[in-house]
Amino acid sequence: MLKVPEHQVAGHIAKDGKLGPLVDDRGRFYKPLQGDARGENEAKFYESFSSNKNVPDHIRGYFPAYHGVQLVEASNGSGKLPHLALEDVVSGYAKPSVMDVKIGSRTWYPDVSEEYFDKCIKKDRETTTVSLGFRVSGLKVFDHLESGFWRPDKRVVLAYKVDGARTALRKFVSSNPLAENSVVPDCAFASEVYGGTNGILAQLLELKAWFETQTLYHFNSCSILMVYENESGGDERRRRARVKLVDFAHVLDGNGVIDHNFFGGLCSFIKFIKDIVESSENCCENGH
Amino acid sequence: MHLKAPEHQVAGHIAKDGKPGPLVDDKGRFFKPLQGDSRGEIEVKFYESFSSNTEVPAHIRRYFPVYHGTQAVESSDGAAMIVLENLLSKYSKPSVMDVKMGSRTWYPEASEEYIQKCLRKDARSTTVSSGFRISGFEVYDHKELSFWKPDRKLLNGIKVDGVRLALRKFVSSNTLSDTSSKPDSAFASSVYGGSNGILTQLLELKTWFENQTFYHFNSCSILIIYENESIQDGDARAQVKLVDFAHVHDGNGVIDHNFLGGLCSFINFVRDILQSSDDQSTQD
Repeated sequence: MLKVPEHQVAGHIAKDGKLGPLVDDRGRFYKPLQGDARGENEAKFYESFSSNKNVPDHIRGYFPAYHGVQLVEASNGSGKLPHLALEDVVSGYAKPSVMDVKIGSRTWYPDVSEEYFDKCIKKDRETTTVSLGFRVSGLKVFDHLESGFWRPDKRVVLAYKVDGARTALRKFVSSNPLAENSVVPDCAFASEVYGGTNGILAQLLELKAWFETQTLYHFNSCSILMVYENESGGDERRRRARVKLVDFAHVLDGNGVIDHNFFGGLCSFIKFIKDIVESSENCCENGH
Repeated sequence: MHLKAPEHQVAGHIAKDGKPGPLVDDKGRFFKPLQGDSRGEIEVKFYESFSSNTEVPAHIRRYFPVYHGTQAVESSDGAAMIVLENLLSKYSKPSVMDVKMGSRTWYPEASEEYIQKCLRKDARSTTVSSGFRISGFEVYDHKELSFWKPDRKLLNGIKVDGVRLALRKFVSSNTLSDTSSKPDSAFASSVYGGSNGILTQLLELKTWFENQTFYHFNSCSILIIYENESIQDGDARAQVKLVDFAHVHDGNGVIDHNFLGGLCSFINFVRDILQSSDDQSTQD
């Protein structure tokens, strides 16, 4: 039985009869193959990546598992259409907070159409893409006091400047994201989610090390998805913070050159996360 | 004070058509005319800030020219000049390469006109594709016993393979003007490799760039210098220096991801050449 994913924070959404991704109850995510070569390109990437022996195993974990292309009943009622069958990266979570961050100081790349270039560069300059090397695409964060999700509108998110992006990253690991703007985000989960040996920061650093030398792919316009669990289970590793790379419609061959665009943005993103971990550690000492 | 034009300028402004160019004296100083439209002002502001910035570690300071303030110079009609360390004064026969770092040379604070100009140049060169471009270089030919520099126009049109070839030629001893013979990369390990070589220095810079949020080094170049006089004995005295700070802006708490990305890409190119010359591979 297929349904609309609950936790989509960015990208196309299958609602109101629109074409969008679907999930099943067995941990699979079905992404309709988009028109104009993008769907084809994404499938081509997954085919290549899943059989590429040069990708180390520990890096493979940062990518959704690929289950081929399947004909699936489309969300807009137009019958069975080809869909990419992927691992649903949030399926193991009961109440996940999710954030989608597009990495890179530019989302365009050489040889694109002038129209696409103009569209990309305009958005890149209006958001934090040019200034920070990444931009927040969307997020939903569970508020433990209100017992509900903070889910800012896409237009609000795209209007973030440097401070907005920083605040969003702090709110992402706070228990009070729905509080008024005058209330400081408490960063209650900063060390559990961002910090620690298995936290977001450690995972990002692992990815960074691979990006320093990998020349296989250029991950144009790709996002990093961050997920963690809010449901209390008493387990030490209850947060299970996870980083995944998603959205490969614009991936190209590296051709012997590293993905310096992604790498630069990733390093900038890492610095932001690191700063939040450090200031939350200082926070506790100062009794904030 | 006896001033003359520097011998080994490979990129940037030169004295031409009555416009002032840089000068050097016989005391190891380099005089750079203050460029118009605020660029000179920005460069001075950077040097002033940098030279007194106590948070810049000493091992990073060595990658920057020493700053000696500004001075009005008579021979340039009293024009104000930035006085810097002459990076080549201790070299007798230097090979020099200027690499402009970053996958974009424009930045948000620039004028729209400037941004468009940069976008065009970045797209035409290897800046967008590789995160850096070679602005110019001059290399000593040990057979011809003279310096060789490629045609500037040719350099502007090179692609990724051309960059690799230039980086090999830069550390070769064989006849460089003869395009039919392959560069021998004879000095690759002396210049690029070793505990004091270019690669080691670049990696040290990279570590600093992963954390420093003081400055955004828009449109800056990395200069690579080595000595030909002693290189046959394995003593290259290879040096990395950052130059050209006319477009530097405050980091404002954000790392210089543009420079860092390009630097990391450049490091890979250098490492590849070093490894392939170590392997004594004949394949390009």
